[in-house]
Order: sequence, then C-alpha cells, then structure tokens
Amino acid sequence: MTTVEKLKAILVKDLNLEELTPGDIDENAPLFGEGLGLDSLDAVELVVVVQKHFGIDIQNMDEAKAAFQSVRSLASYIEGRLSGG
Amino acid sequence: MSGPDRIVIEGIGAVGGFGCGISVLSRALTEASSSPGTFDLSTGSGTVRIPAFLADVSRLGEFIPVRTLRRIDRFSRLALLGSHLALADAELPEAERSRLGIIIASGYGATGITYAFLKSFISDGDICASPTYFANSVHNSAAAHISIQLGATGPSLTVTHFHLSVPSALATARLWLAEGRVQRVLFGAVDELSELIGYVRFRMRHAPPDTPMTPLWTEMETSIPAEGAAFLLLARESAARGGYCTLEASTTGSMPNSGVPFPEAGLLVLGADGCPESGGRYAAAAQNVRVACYTPLYGSMPSGPAFDVAAGALILKGGRLFPSPGAAFRDFPATVPAGGDPVGTDRIACLTLAEDNAYGLTTLGKLPDTACVRAREGRTSS
Repeated sequence: MTTVEKLKAILVKDLNLEELTPGDIDENAPLFGEGLGLDSLDAVELVVVVQKHFGIDIQNMDEAKAAFQSVRSLASYIEGRLSGG
Repeated sequence: MSGPDRIVIEGIGAVGGFGCGISVLSRALTEASSSPGTFDLSTGSGTVRIPAFLADVSRLGEFIPVRTLRRIDRFSRLALLGSHLALADAELPEAERSRLGIIIASGYGATGITYAFLKSFISDGDICASPTYFANSVHNSAAAHISIQLGATGPSLTVTHFHLSVPSALATARLWLAEGRVQRVLFGAVDELSELIGYVRFRMRHAPPDTPMTPLWTEMETSIPAEGAAFLLLARESAARGGYCTLEASTTGSMPNSGVPFPEAGLLVLGADGCPESGGRYAAAAQNVRVACYTPLYGSMPSGPAFDVAAGALILKGGRLFPSPGAAFRDFPATVPAGGDPVGTDRIACLTLAEDNAYGLTTLGKLPDTACVRAREGRTSS
C-alpha cells in the first residue's frame, strides 16, 4: 500500500468521514475548505494522526501548513521525513 | 403545582431495542413484543455473543447532515436522535426553542468514547490523545451537542445518579420550570451499551441464554443489557401546545417502612429489570396495588425509568392499559391488569428501586380536559 493510499484510509477512519470511501478522495484536492472540507479541529487531529500512524512529530507550523495542502503533499512530507529529509 | 402551573409532557422521543419513535414504542407496548438482538464481546477467552437490546441511530440522518455527525460519538447520537424525535412529536416550531433548557440523565454516561480516549492515551501516549475523543468524553457533551444543533440557549445539565438518574433529573426539570428559568425543558435519559459496559454486564450479570426477562424473579439473573434514549419535552401547562399527561411529581428518598408513598387506586409501573437482588424488593412494593412492568420490551439499563414514564404517558393519553409482557410476573401473584383494559385511574407512578433502600418515584396525571381542548385549539391555529 502506498503512503497516499494508507493516508486516505486513515483519514476516512480516524476523521470519521463516514460518507466517503478512501477511493472517493482526490489526492490532489485541498484538505481544508473546498475539497475534502476539513477544518481547524481536523488540523489538530491530523497532527495526532501523523504522529500515531507514522511516528512523525510535526512541531513546525510552517512545515505543517505546506504539508497539509493535500493528501499528496502530506504523503510527500511523510515520505521525506521517514527517509531522513 | 396546579392549574396552569402544572407541567405537561408535550412530546416524547424514544429509541431503543424495540425500534425508533413513539409510534413504534406504542406498537411494541400494545403487542407486548420486542426481541433482543445480539452483542459481540471480546474477552480473554475469545469473542462471546450475548443477548442485548441495541438501538439503531440511522434515522438521525433525517435531522442532521452526516458530515455534521462525524465528530459526535454514539452516546451523543442516541441523545440527538431522542431529542429530535421528541421535538418532532411535539411539533415544536424552531422559533420556540430559544428558552429551552436541556437536561440529560444517564447511569453510565458516554463510556464508549471515554474509554476509547483513555485507551489511546495509554496505548499511544498523551501526545496522540485525540482532541475529538476528549471533547466527547466531557460529561455534559451530549447536552452541549443538542444545544448547538437545536440553537437552544437555555441552561444544560447532565445528571448521573445511577438507577435514580431519571427521577433526580426530572425533579430538576420541574424546578427549572417552576422557577420560570426556562420556557421548556427537553429532558432525556440516555445509556449506551459500549464494549466496556457489555463486558462488565457479561462478567457480573450473565443471564442464561434464551431466558426471557422475568423482572420479579429472585432466583436467577434474567436481565438483558440494553441501550437507548427516551426524551420528554416538558412545559408548564400555560405554555404547552398539547401533550400526553402531566408530570405531577418526581421524588427520590429512602423507602419508608409503610411501603411506596404512592396514592392508592392508581397504577404502579415497576422498573424491575431482571436483577434478582432487586426483584424481591419490587415484589414487596407491588403488594396490594395494580402493577405493570414493561422492561422486557426495552431491557435493563439505568435509563430504563424514562421508558417507563413514556409508557405511562401513552397509557394516560390513550386511556387503555398495555399488557405486561408474558414473563414479567411469572410466579408472582400481582394484580396485573390485562392489555386493553381501561386505565381506570387518573394517576400512574413509575417506581425505581436502587441500592441502600433508596427509591425514585415519578408520578404522572391525566391531562385535564380543559388543557386538552386548549392544546388542540393551539395546534389547529398554528
């Protein structure tokens, strides 16, 4: 399973996006506002989700802002951190 | 309280193992029929399946968008569904919701989300504790969700007094209305059958399989765990737009030696729920009075007395008694009216017995004809 696929499944389950399946999520669509429609509380949950499932602690909010643009950008950020970037 | 200061039950919302909605509850009561489903538990010796009365909350989608519900846990979903059903039953316009107080009664509270939060805390560390889980684990969160969704700006409160949660919370509701603190109170009793509660029930109160609930039987456990929500919309008679009956009193105390302090010639609805240690005490309280017991239709849970009140309200409104389910009074020589009999009284009391000889008693009265006429006129003109 790719990081993008894993992230989609995690988002649906951990953020309780009951009306969606992982396949419904456009990996390039914005996570917040239009697109997936997440909000500020979801941003906090996302920080927890990334820590819990990938062991990555996001403390730099500028980094988080860039990473949280879309599923694709978040997956790239995670892969970069896991590879020591 | 008397006259226009009487408190009226304007609407009822109920969801439980019998189904969803007051008409479904009424049908279950009329037919004296409701079968438990099953609940799978993870135990140290594998998965165990136990009988349980489980509620289906899928109708909540009729009232609230699915996306809005995603941060709301099962306990609060039960509460939201019950509250919306009660408001729909009372046909209360949105404009009249502003001075609405919310009171929730629960024996266990939101155990599912609370223990999920604690589990994440223990398993993954405090840094991974979900803020959403935490928010839902706060004791008054279900009342808050209801207030937010309904736009209610009155006070909200959650009362937990285990078996006496319902009569205690109803006493507070009466107080708020008597003080004029709110125009209406949306009272609801909620309990969820979480995995935790299911496990505790399985370990501590394991009834033999395929055994019907026999509430007054003292020889063995027959209780079947349950979940559900029963909501009542309450208003002073002067403001009420119709309703089922009056809420005359709701008290708690220690049982006097003389027995239940209940006016004679009425009907006593027993909250006995198949727990053998209380069955004998209920049997003693049921001597020399007309009794009914409907717990086998919705199961055993601390919020059960609110379903008893709903049943009593339906009886007083319809003027006819519901039969007590077949096994309710097995081997007990009680005066049990048959189903369909005229109610024969203007007053019904619902009795709950608790630990240490404590009791709760909620008394309902027939809605005066004048109030009924005024209510009908009000609804017709609205």
